[in-house]
Amino acid sequence: MANPIELLQRFGKNFAISEIHEQKADLTFFKVPKEQAVRLLRELRDDAGYTHLAFLTNIDWIEKGIFTLTYMLHNYDARHSLGMHVDLERDNAEMQSIHGLWAQAATYQRELREMYGIRFPGSPRLDEDFCLEGWDQIPPMRKEFDTAAFSLERFYSREGRGTEDPREHMKGLLYPTHTDEPSSGGQ
Amino acid sequence: MSLKDLISPFYVWQRAFEKPYTQKRPIEDRPGAPRYRGFHMNSEDCIGCGTCETICQNHAIDMVPVEGLEQRSGDSGLRPRFDYGRCCWCALCVDICTTRSLRMSNHYAWITEDPDAFHFTAGTDAMPWNQNSLGYRRDDDYHLLVHERIDMQALGAEESVAGFDEVMKGYTEEQAVLEADRCVECGICVATCPAHMAIPDYIRAVRQRDYEAGLRLLYETNPFSSTCGRICTHRCETVCVMGYQGDPIAIRWLKRAIVDRVPAERYREILGDEVVENGRKVGVIGAGPGGMSAAYYLRRQGYAVTVYESQARAGGMLRYGVPSYRLPDDQLDKDLEYIRSLGVEVKFNTHIGRDVPFRQLIEDYDALFLAVGLNQPSALRIQGEEHPRVLSGLQVLDDVASGRDPGVGSKVAVIGGGNVAMDAARVSRRLGADVTVLYRRRIEDMPADPEEIHESQAEGCKLVQQAIPVEIKNAASTSQVTIVWGEAEMIADDKGGRPRPVLQEDRMHEETYDCIIAAIGQGGQLDFIPAEYRDRIEFKWNKFVPGEYQQTGLPKLFVGGDIANSRADAISAIEDGHHAARGIHRFLTGTLDG
Repeated sequence: MANPIELLQRFGKNFAISEIHEQKADLTFFKVPKEQAVRLLRELRDDAGYTHLAFLTNIDWIEKGIFTLTYMLHNYDARHSLGMHVDLERDNAEMQSIHGLWAQAATYQRELREMYGIRFPGSPRLDEDFCLEGWDQIPPMRKEFDTAAFSLERFYSREGRGTEDPREHMKGLLYPTHTDEPSSGGQ
Repeated sequence: MSLKDLISPFYVWQRAFEKPYTQKRPIEDRPGAPRYRGFHMNSEDCIGCGTCETICQNHAIDMVPVEGLEQRSGDSGLRPRFDYGRCCWCALCVDICTTRSLRMSNHYAWITEDPDAFHFTAGTDAMPWNQNSLGYRRDDDYHLLVHERIDMQALGAEESVAGFDEVMKGYTEEQAVLEADRCVECGICVATCPAHMAIPDYIRAVRQRDYEAGLRLLYETNPFSSTCGRICTHRCETVCVMGYQGDPIAIRWLKRAIVDRVPAERYREILGDEVVENGRKVGVIGAGPGGMSAAYYLRRQGYAVTVYESQARAGGMLRYGVPSYRLPDDQLDKDLEYIRSLGVEVKFNTHIGRDVPFRQLIEDYDALFLAVGLNQPSALRIQGEEHPRVLSGLQVLDDVASGRDPGVGSKVAVIGGGNVAMDAARVSRRLGADVTVLYRRRIEDMPADPEEIHESQAEGCKLVQQAIPVEIKNAASTSQVTIVWGEAEMIADDKGGRPRPVLQEDRMHEETYDCIIAAIGQGGQLDFIPAEYRDRIEFKWNKFVPGEYQQTGLPKLFVGGDIANSRADAISAIEDGHHAARGIHRFLTGTLDG
């Protein structure tokens, strides 16, 4: 097999491949536009030996307003992995399903729908609960989800819990009288 | 149903006597990977800032007092306690830890029948993994915190030594927001600040660009914020948690970032100017930071306040002891004029004891606050020091502040290592002199602010360390003076004190200068208090020893500032004034006895 950089450069003639980054000897990342992603996955699988979909996951860049899907492919002959990044608009995120290329992708897509709210139209059982039975909040892996607030509201605290604010704690012990009483005005 | 279906359930019995695949726990241990995220460990470097608690998304961490661990300046005495019913092992607490004391061991399996045992204080409770050397810790090249301070524009050494323009130019709004953004809001600094300013709160105001809220926060504890934003000794920054891995937050500069953005004309509108007279009157002796701070807080509570000042202008040591390249006059005036605008009366050129008897004040006023400062230069205690070309550092600074020429000449020796010595040296440089500073200990022992030492060197002052003055003699010309000084060796102190300089009599030097500026410290002058009163007041080394709320043995008399504390800096005087104001209010409303 050609080395991964040369391979990606060859595919680059037909695809807008960018941000090629060799993470380590057996792992290379790159980015491709959303519209070209599924066609490129098919060619990598059928023509370049990347036959295995190891996983499909997502990164939430809330400040930039995008999600970055990460498709991790593996080539068993070359013992090499390719990580393909695809940016989506964060609002109403939707991506073409790849369950036709790899059947197990349906499970990952179901999980991403549940955890981030990304739609994959046509993906089998997409809207069934995956591991959050009876979830009634926004998808919990979205960064605007306030885990601490949810956890405080939903679960009672173990007995014996209780915390002190460092600043107030030090004030009470080190300089208790150096504080103003509420103003009594002009008495 | 086939025969096989009938028999197959019994096949499993054939394995009944084989070795089971199940691992016997906890008897056989299987160690975690070297960087496994297991149970937490915490070293003695922890200072209890609580940043781990703040970042924990699962509310799994409480900050709790630990028995036998004392809170002190820079350490809250609290330590993180983990509730493993909530921990998800994400390690954000380890990644954010400001002192890098918090880590995770690679110990992941722990079996006990008591569920409450999974709730402990890492590092201080005895756990089997406390000595683990493996486990997760933050990578060196991965930072959640910004460790580098945002630089402030300053005059170059060449430019600054050419005149008395302010050296530090202040942050731009963008710079201030970036610097404020580095703060983790732990609040450890508040206990160390002598005035206990609401530091994390006003830094947040800078971040939100809300300078009106910022100004109100500053004035809760400090009516000299423009001044302190420039020349404060910033003890807060010495304990800032960001200093453990990088630069402490520029707390002093952020205070300045607020006041620089609020014009003086808007102060009364923002801070409120209504004073409801309460019919009582308080006298204040000394219009320095202590006296004017007391005046401000007393006036706010409705007292009629009269301040007696021996000099022609207010500000005390801030006016006459701090040169304008560090604190421009108009900035000090901004603070002082606002206090006076509330109706605080200042009587200038009035010496207590000479123009007005102390007895009259103590009889006329309901209470008295005294903060006369230290304005008597300490003697060198060496032969010949009464030579007319031996000047005092305070006098030189006073002359320059008052627009007089101190006449230092072109070749100057400064004796001392405090801020007055550094300022006298830098002022002399600006007057065109060649300056040598002689200090009896090492440069790192100098009590002056590190910035002052650094800037004086950058401006061309020569610092000679371990130099002990021995004698002052007449020079060939009457306009010059000769000093004899000897080199010192630093000798370790057997009693555990700091090393002592010991004169080496075989290594003496003799040098002639146009003048010698003595700046080895100041003392107070309290002769104006009649003996009958002095007898009832506690003194130590000619300084007041105030009681609770700065009160003295004369119940009506409260004291503060350099004459009554050992720190002798502006911010401590400001807090003394504020605290005395609280005390006077309590005294006059009956909740504090004499």
